Amino acid sequence: MSAPDRSPAVDGDDPAGAAAAPVSPLDPWPATVRWQSISHDLIWVELIRLALTLAVLVIGLAVGWAVAGHWFFGAALGAVAVLAAWRVVAIVRAVRVWGYAERDNDLLVRHGLLVRRLSIVPYSRMQFVDVSAGPLERAFDLATVQLHTAAAATDARVPGLRPAEASRLRDRLTALGEDRAEGL
Amino acid sequence: MTASPGPAQEPTGPRPAESGADQPAWADHGAHAQQPAPAEPPAGADHPGHAMAGIEAGRAEQAGYAGQAGAVGPVAWPAGVPEGGEPRQRLHPLSPALHGAKSLVVVIAGLSWSTLSRVGFGWFAAMVAVLALGATVLALVSWYNTGYHVVGRELRVHEGLLWRRTRAIPLERLQAVEVVRPLLAQLTGLAELRLEVVGGGKTEAPLAYLTVADAAALRARLLALAAGAGAVPATPEPEAVPGAAPAPAATGRPLHAVRNKDLLVSQLLTPQAFLLPFGVAFVLAQFFSEGSTSFIAVASTLTAMAGVLLQPIRRVLDDWAFRIARDDEVLRIRNGLLETRAQTVPLNRVQTVGVTWPLLWRVKGWLRLRLEVAGYSAGESDDRNRPDRLLPVGDLPTGESIVTEVLPGVRLAALPLTPPPPRARWLNPLSRARLGAVLTDEVFAVRSGLLTRQVTLVPYARIQSVRLVQGPVQRRLGLATVHADTAGGAGAAAQDRDLAEARTLAAELTARAHTARLGT
Repeated sequence: MSAPDRSPAVDGDDPAGAAAAPVSPLDPWPATVRWQSISHDLIWVELIRLALTLAVLVIGLAVGWAVAGHWFFGAALGAVAVLAAWRVVAIVRAVRVWGYAERDNDLLVRHGLLVRRLSIVPYSRMQFVDVSAGPLERAFDLATVQLHTAAAATDARVPGLRPAEASRLRDRLTALGEDRAEGL
Repeated sequence: MTASPGPAQEPTGPRPAESGADQPAWADHGAHAQQPAPAEPPAGADHPGHAMAGIEAGRAEQAGYAGQAGAVGPVAWPAGVPEGGEPRQRLHPLSPALHGAKSLVVVIAGLSWSTLSRVGFGWFAAMVAVLALGATVLALVSWYNTGYHVVGRELRVHEGLLWRRTRAIPLERLQAVEVVRPLLAQLTGLAELRLEVVGGGKTEAPLAYLTVADAAALRARLLALAAGAGAVPATPEPEAVPGAAPAPAATGRPLHAVRNKDLLVSQLLTPQAFLLPFGVAFVLAQFFSEGSTSFIAVASTLTAMAGVLLQPIRRVLDDWAFRIARDDEVLRIRNGLLETRAQTVPLNRVQTVGVTWPLLWRVKGWLRLRLEVAGYSAGESDDRNRPDRLLPVGDLPTGESIVTEVLPGVRLAALPLTPPPPRARWLNPLSRARLGAVLTDEVFAVRSGLLTRQVTLVPYARIQSVRLVQGPVQRRLGLATVHADTAGGAGAAAQDRDLAEARTLAAELTARAHTARLGT
């Protein structure tokens, strides 16, 4: 509960805190789980993504305002600014919250601020592992690892990993999955 | 659904030709992982791109799995006998005629009543004839170019004239084989063979049409090969073939036969049937007030009404003479009036069992059982193809006995379901008491629904992953939802449990799923 730049949340949870602190409601078994956070460079990736989207929106609105001169466009710009500020805060916090943990038999992934999600995926259920990196992610030297099972609903995506860590995780998941492979 | 055992972890390099059809799907995957990744990508700035290339290669490879000998995309048509296999076989010569006749219905529907009124009957008939003839010619061309044969442990289906396609269906991935007989096929003594595989977006390779004997023989052979490949352990295929005659008794130990009267009554107890009189009254009132009773208006109205009634009527037709039997570790389901279908569902492929109590059926105390099997996509438009019915209608004791057959040890009436804590009423003002979840010795059971009550049963060994989700309101109330994801269907979700309980549930589910997998 002592993380900087964060006001204590409603029920005092603080998933961005120290790795082993039993603080989040979605952080069960603190004794056995060692959470690893993802690279904070992902914040920049997400912010640039946001900026690109906003730039288009803002330019459109500004042109509209200049041409039509209606107050509505000004109000919309204001709304966009407020939204952008909120998104910036959300992105920063969301990236800090995002974490994963490798246990003996399963991979834990937690993410989400408004809606908090914790996924528990047994290695034995792994069908394949995806490692991907978009141009922005590559520019910041990051990659995303995604674990797929036979269930479409499985939600085990870990973005913002260093390539070395991504390939280590991939190899480990593959090795463990192969050891314990069960398929369906 | 991305349930393909893709070798995405292998960076680059072609797959060795020998690892392929000779191993089960997941062992195949393992075989990939075992290779010591010779071209281990160097850790560095270029790595992600490298990895991406690897993924692409993996995908392309997977797509090219069809070719196995490296043939991807437009395949050179193997002229003679392909390598190490039997000659390719054509479908039954009557197939194009049947396809053409089928398209006739589509053509008439497409032209619609209004066209008939505009162009007159003669022209209408001519248009229908031309279009149907065209469709038949296309079907003939497609029939000429379609062939199938079994190579090793794969069924290969070749098709297409301009865009040639060869699909190889690894039999280890076979989930079920169905022999389906639509009305026209029944009249001509033919049958359609449908294969369901893991990870298939839709029913793969419907072989339409074969003679009934051929279809049954091929089905038995495919199942035997699949069993030999280790995918369906201990599934001896008996020599008796259910698809051989229009409606023979299902083999194995009969579990239940639904009475057709019950089926009719149950479909009358649906919202559609209940609302029909109001619709008829409305239409009649309109007619008499306006006095316009032209043929077109009547025909259009009747078509619209048929549309509303389509679902109950379809259910009646589909589930007519529904019989379920158990044959060792396999469920055999036969149903259908116009289109007789024989489904074979290995019990170890059942992912979830759903029990539904529709509102109007409560008068009779009836319920409906459904099952989800991996490999059947949820998004398939024609959901009649999925073996989802375990019991179209039945009372509680019947349902209970069938559930016990599918999931031994589960007592449907005596599930000790517990509702979420009282503060969950803020999220579910009316249905809180109807929600429930329990971990029994065999299954994870959840209940939901105020008007249409539903219970979903998930065996622990079928759980693919566990998720704990907490929305903003749930956070204030100290609640969380626990999801158990399965390969087919939506899985089960225990809604709005107390946070501590949700954590325990998640931990228990994970642990039990683990031990259950070890046990099997």
